[in-house]
Amino acid sequence: MYITGWTVLLAALGAVPAIITQDRGVTWLWMIAVVALAVIDAGLAPKPSTLGVRRTVPGSVRLTESTSGSVTVVNNGQRRVRGAVRDAWQPSAGASNTRHRLNLASGVRATFDTHFRPTRRGDRHADRITLRLQGPLRLGGRQQSVVVSDTLRVLPEFASRRHLPSRLQRLREIDGQSAVQLKGAGSEFDSLREYVIGDDVRSIDWRATARRADVVVRTYRPERDRRVFIALDTSRLSAARVGDAPRLDASIEATLLLTALATRAGDRVQVTAYDRVERARALGTTGAGVMPQLASALAGVEPELLEPDWPGVVRLVQSRLSQRSLVVLLTTIDTSTADSGLLEAVAALSQSHVVMVASVNDPEVEQMLKGREDSHELYAAGAAARGALERDTVSTRLRQLTAEVVTASPDDLAPAVADRYLALKAAGRL
Amino acid sequence: MSIDAGQRDYVSATAGPTITARARRSPLLFVGLAIFAIIITILVTQSRPADNQDLSIDNTAPNGAHAVAQILRDQGVGVRQVNLLSDARIEDPKHTTLVIVASSTFLSSAQSDSIAGYPGDIVYLGLTPDALEAAGPDLYYEYAEPGATVVAQCADPDAVAAEETRTGEDSISIGGLAPHDAELCFPDAEGGYAYARVETDLGARIFLANPHIATNDKLDELGNAALTLRAMGRHESVTWYVGSYADTTTLTWGDDGLAPDKITTNPNFLPPGTADALFALGLAALIAAFWRARRFGPLVTEPLPVVVRSSEATRGRARLYRRARATGRSTAAIRGLVALRIGQRLGVPRAAGKAGLLEAITRTTGRNSGDVDALLYGPPPANETAMMQLVERLDQLESEVHQP
Repeated sequence: MYITGWTVLLAALGAVPAIITQDRGVTWLWMIAVVALAVIDAGLAPKPSTLGVRRTVPGSVRLTESTSGSVTVVNNGQRRVRGAVRDAWQPSAGASNTRHRLNLASGVRATFDTHFRPTRRGDRHADRITLRLQGPLRLGGRQQSVVVSDTLRVLPEFASRRHLPSRLQRLREIDGQSAVQLKGAGSEFDSLREYVIGDDVRSIDWRATARRADVVVRTYRPERDRRVFIALDTSRLSAARVGDAPRLDASIEATLLLTALATRAGDRVQVTAYDRVERARALGTTGAGVMPQLASALAGVEPELLEPDWPGVVRLVQSRLSQRSLVVLLTTIDTSTADSGLLEAVAALSQSHVVMVASVNDPEVEQMLKGREDSHELYAAGAAARGALERDTVSTRLRQLTAEVVTASPDDLAPAVADRYLALKAAGRL
Repeated sequence: MSIDAGQRDYVSATAGPTITARARRSPLLFVGLAIFAIIITILVTQSRPADNQDLSIDNTAPNGAHAVAQILRDQGVGVRQVNLLSDARIEDPKHTTLVIVASSTFLSSAQSDSIAGYPGDIVYLGLTPDALEAAGPDLYYEYAEPGATVVAQCADPDAVAAEETRTGEDSISIGGLAPHDAELCFPDAEGGYAYARVETDLGARIFLANPHIATNDKLDELGNAALTLRAMGRHESVTWYVGSYADTTTLTWGDDGLAPDKITTNPNFLPPGTADALFALGLAALIAAFWRARRFGPLVTEPLPVVVRSSEATRGRARLYRRARATGRSTAAIRGLVALRIGQRLGVPRAAGKAGLLEAITRTTGRNSGDVDALLYGPPPANETAMMQLVERLDQLESEVHQP
């Protein structure tokens, strides 16, 4: 049951007889009559169970982009139905245009669009569809909510895809496909060809030259069909916010960019999100299907308030990888992560793989380092410096274990990881 | 999902549980509601508390005066009880008998004066010295032997009709001569009287020394009924006042001292009916509140993530340093970081140690080696001022290294 603004207006019109009669009793009678009319009108309204509702939801949408779904209402009853319908979603689904007027003859259906601009990554859930059916007097009506569960999957934003073209360009330069020849790039032997002026004399293959009358040089290309294994740390430290987003979001961006790049470079990428158990995985796909699969897998990954299980990560990597690969650990470099077994894990992994450890730096802490205004800021600078020294100690130990260490601010982490990957590839270390 | 949406069936609203179904599911709630409703009904209907006041006309107990009032009403006399003198508002004093049931402890002198000035007949059930004094200068208040039967022995027609009555604890005595307009009846053995009637300019003042003759219990004894009913039934209406400590107001009658029934502010400025219109609009606003309060479907909850800033640990450490005034520790960290950055900048390996770093710095900046040594590895600053100066010099050194 609900009442409309018309009921209120009718009640307010009770002021007229009140002025004429100047009798409170008349006013009371008027109000009681108005309420009674509204209640009767609500009773005369069609029953909500005569309506059928259906929701259509787009499968997924990327964060910060917008999409639209719809709600279809069909009138199964014999009477014309007037009223309204509301498509309720949780606030972070960013649903707009959710309320619509309803005017359906018997047997007719209508479809109403709902627009979405999600504000959070992950699965956004729909709530009920609420129906309001007006009575013949339009004073009141029946209201009922129908539970229709639906989910809109919000994929990671992948803001770092703007870095992709420049990195692909670099990849092509390494590859030798580009017009610009990058001498000595790559390490995998490609073919022999005749020497032309300008070639690096160091790449002359003397043995082949001896067999033929011409001077022959070797050409190289970067390795292909290498394996890249990306492990996202979803433990408690990844829940800490840097800027507006948790550390995990920067890790996801880096994963997406690196996967996009490595897939184009002809490498096979496996991704896992892990704290004490595996939260998400993406593997086994090649070609165009990789990115959608990965985005969908990472959409629902949330940080867990748990300690990471690094030996578990090592076991997982060893069970999934048989050949020498690049293992990228997207985690947080901190004294506490060092204590939690990261160093031992890196030591174990680097025996058979190339390990890269990537971590987000907090720009706020960087800012604290520069504070010189008063003694408070100096103490803050001291604390930040102490933290920086500790992180440097851990980084140094990781480098001593032959791991590659990448630290950058949240926005720069993805391109920094991609650059390091390209550098490794160019150096033929994969 | 978009793929299977085409095949999906329409969902219909299921009718909500009926009231009987709800009652079956949670009977306690409904029992509770029913009990609540019953209690409220009882409280509302039985809200008038039982009247057990002495000589109250609503009191049907032996000490009440319900019988008197009932007989008077049967005889066509309107009886009205007031518990506040200001509530009396007697419109027509000439045709209204005022019955005062109040001992002297209840009435202040101002109240007694206001009663004495009443321009109509008054019957005092029980004596108060103030009232006696106001009625006649020679009338006094005296203790009496209660329970004695006394005979009228006077010319007053009411007393004669009553013939006999019984004395109470009080009686009226005459100081000197009896006032010429006073009639005293029912003398007892000690010379006191149980009844006095004084004709004043304002009206008759009748004193019944023993108030208990008007109670439900004693009304039918001897001539009590005749005496009280004749005294009170003289006019077409009776205003019955029962005094109490709670009442501090004075008597009102006619237009005198009448409080205004409604307070109208500047009635000339507002058209008639404004108050009624506002009242109607107020009720409409109440309905509007219901209109707006009804949600179009329930609120949807959002599971919110925990928000922990990454810099919080560093800030906490900074607060600890500040509280402990750890200038030494704080500066040591800054020195360490500066040395680290300079070392990275100048390409000095960690293995080179302190000496290697110092040598590289002096080579680059041309500074005195001892000076740089004191700056990077000197003693910790003693206070915050020294710390600030030291950090400033460290910054200067670093900028020199970075921009040689």
